[in-house]
Amino acid sequence: MPVAALNEDIGLAPQAASAPHTGALLRLLTCGSVDDGKSTLIGRLLWDASGVTDDQRAAIRTASVNRAVNGEKIDFSLLLDGLQAEREQGITIDIAWRYFETPSRRFIIIDSPGHEQYTRNMATGASHADLAILLVDARHGVKRQTRRHAAICDLVGIKKVVLAVNKMDQMDWSEDIYRAIDSDFRALAEGFGFTEIMTIPLAALTGDNVVQRSENMDWYGGPSLLNYLESVDPEPLSIDAPFRMPVQLVLRDGDFRGYAGTVTSGEIRLGERVVDARSGLGATLSRIATMSGDLDVAVKGDAVTLELDTDLDISRGAVLSEAKRRPINADVLEARLVWLADEPFDPEMGYLLRTATDLNPVTSMSVSALVDFETLASTPAHACGVNDIADCRILLGRSIALDLFRDLPLTGNFILINAIDGSTVAGGVITWAQSGAPTVGDNVFVLDRALLARGLCADLGDSPADQAEFHRRAQEAAILLRSVGVPVLIEI
Amino acid sequence: MTALTAHLKLLEAESIHIFREAAAQFRAPVLLYSIGKDSTVLLHLARKAFWPAKPPFPMLHIDTTWKFREMIEFRDRTAREFGLDLIVHTNHEGLARNINPFDHPPSVYTDVMKTQALRQALDAGGFDAAFGGARRDEEASRAKERVFSFRAAGHRWDPRRQRPEMWQLLNGRLGKGETVRIFPLSNWTEGDVWRYLQQENLDVVPLYFAKERPVVERDGQFIVVDDERMVFEPGEKPEMRKVRFRTLGCWPLTAAMDSDADDLDAIVTETLAAKLSERSGRLIDHDQAGAMEMKKREGYF
Repeated sequence: MPVAALNEDIGLAPQAASAPHTGALLRLLTCGSVDDGKSTLIGRLLWDASGVTDDQRAAIRTASVNRAVNGEKIDFSLLLDGLQAEREQGITIDIAWRYFETPSRRFIIIDSPGHEQYTRNMATGASHADLAILLVDARHGVKRQTRRHAAICDLVGIKKVVLAVNKMDQMDWSEDIYRAIDSDFRALAEGFGFTEIMTIPLAALTGDNVVQRSENMDWYGGPSLLNYLESVDPEPLSIDAPFRMPVQLVLRDGDFRGYAGTVTSGEIRLGERVVDARSGLGATLSRIATMSGDLDVAVKGDAVTLELDTDLDISRGAVLSEAKRRPINADVLEARLVWLADEPFDPEMGYLLRTATDLNPVTSMSVSALVDFETLASTPAHACGVNDIADCRILLGRSIALDLFRDLPLTGNFILINAIDGSTVAGGVITWAQSGAPTVGDNVFVLDRALLARGLCADLGDSPADQAEFHRRAQEAAILLRSVGVPVLIEI
Repeated sequence: MTALTAHLKLLEAESIHIFREAAAQFRAPVLLYSIGKDSTVLLHLARKAFWPAKPPFPMLHIDTTWKFREMIEFRDRTAREFGLDLIVHTNHEGLARNINPFDHPPSVYTDVMKTQALRQALDAGGFDAAFGGARRDEEASRAKERVFSFRAAGHRWDPRRQRPEMWQLLNGRLGKGETVRIFPLSNWTEGDVWRYLQQENLDVVPLYFAKERPVVERDGQFIVVDDERMVFEPGEKPEMRKVRFRTLGCWPLTAAMDSDADDLDAIVTETLAAKLSERSGRLIDHDQAGAMEMKKREGYF
């Protein structure tokens, strides 16, 4: 296709098709430390922005008298805490989802728990957000938990952050305090990939700068929280991003055979070449089918069914891509993850790697470092447990199609699944990936006595017969590992 | 497309993604069809997700025998029109014991005729996954629900042990004895549902539209008399009143509201301006604080 025609196409039609995808819906995460007043802030936002109905208002007024946290005042946090245990203990345990809209936008609020023991719930919530509101108490400033939350937001790919400096009323609406906290946070955020940080001084209890601009802080020239949320630009839809569509299902109906999935990046048009990233086989896109009518182009976010002119013989787990910029076929990858399960990482446990729509057994996995929340530096480690952020290396028995998270988040993220009970034990992002045998000297897997004695050879003793069996198993393990491309050194 | 309906396209795509993930990962899913507006949207999205093929699962309706007659007619017509398998289940043991909404408190009636009935039907069908039309904006404990909501053996929900759900990655691996409830409409609001029905021009049960109906006023709520089983309090007499339903359940337990809204456009306008929450007309939710959470723990949707 001539370059000029291509540019023209990109300039007109795709943008019209993409318009509904930008800015109509904003998913925002709220997180903060215990007692920073997070639930109160969200309750106030809903209350003042009319996201609360009259019967809910009456119920909250009655319940507020019973709890009497603020004397006669309304306890806005009651709007958020939904579970019995939460109401009893006055804390938030799990994420709560709330919805409201203003004339300019529909909002989804993902309210996440502040307690450290529920960090996994926060990571879950953060992974769904376009923007995070990090709450700090003006009296205490940036704390360990703020760093943890910022690190998790960064890990899961959030690019825009509002630092809400709450309880300004208790610090005499001091500009100096606000500036100090703002610069502390900006220093802390240097190492992260945030593209926009907005610091707003406010008081959730009194409503200052939540919906209405505060009259107590003349020195602040920025928007109220709601004004900002209504006007913030969503992440621009990159029309230059390479096309990806992980296949969820193959749909058949009579002669029809189509690949059903959601476009995770870029766009694809009728007549363009589509390749299955793993096999490298290609075909031409002949039809984009939806029940509401066929489309000429499918863009990021569209749930569609693609029909090709030749059958690629692929199924769920395949990633359809454009011909030029393809995913990486990799069986070795490095990743940063947040550990979600109560049971710590166990190198001998069976795990499954779930990428976009693919599921594969992990051949071996090792932890190389933990992220320290005080210094935000990585320190070498071999273990990780619940709420830890860790760097790890994962080897697979076969190559899979994937991207690096920083390039294409929806084909660069994954969860780890416990192969026995099916639980989700970790969520992570791919930072590096490679196919085939790694260079010797770089990634040699050392099969040593301690590793073998712990699991594979745990039943063997010191007798000559047992020792012979020990060596035999070591050799067999090495053969299996080498057969999937892992260079192995036996040291026993 | 205006700014306000643009987000419906995003919600629709998300729901289709959920349906497809579930169909790919579970052995025997079923779609809980309760005939109301949310079920209408749910079914429409299921049809979109697998089109041109049919949804690869049957519909299940739990019939308490106290549904409005117009609902039952609508249900049968819908199944016929789309050529879908419809399973109807009633708790016959409860029926034999004459458990009904007049002689029993809502909590007992709901447990026997809805929750237990649902568990019976899911077990009998060997279903490992059930789609439901619940939305997180409906009620406080629902605001905490996952999209794939895992239930231990006996269909119990433990809100403290919910699986983390990250990004678009829905993990459908079941542990021993586990089943799952799936909520494709999790992020929809009542307003979204009506705007979507309007935009897609979908047919709903006529009870949603305002019409003169025989009504008894009880504790400030309007109960529509649907058949001769109505038990009147002393001095009560049905009066004709122009009402409609905002939410549909069992007729003696669902209150109607005064309204002149007799088409989708009028309902959308009325819903977006509503001052009361949707479930304020659901008598079973007001039994006691945390009523919905308790029902959910016992296996209710």
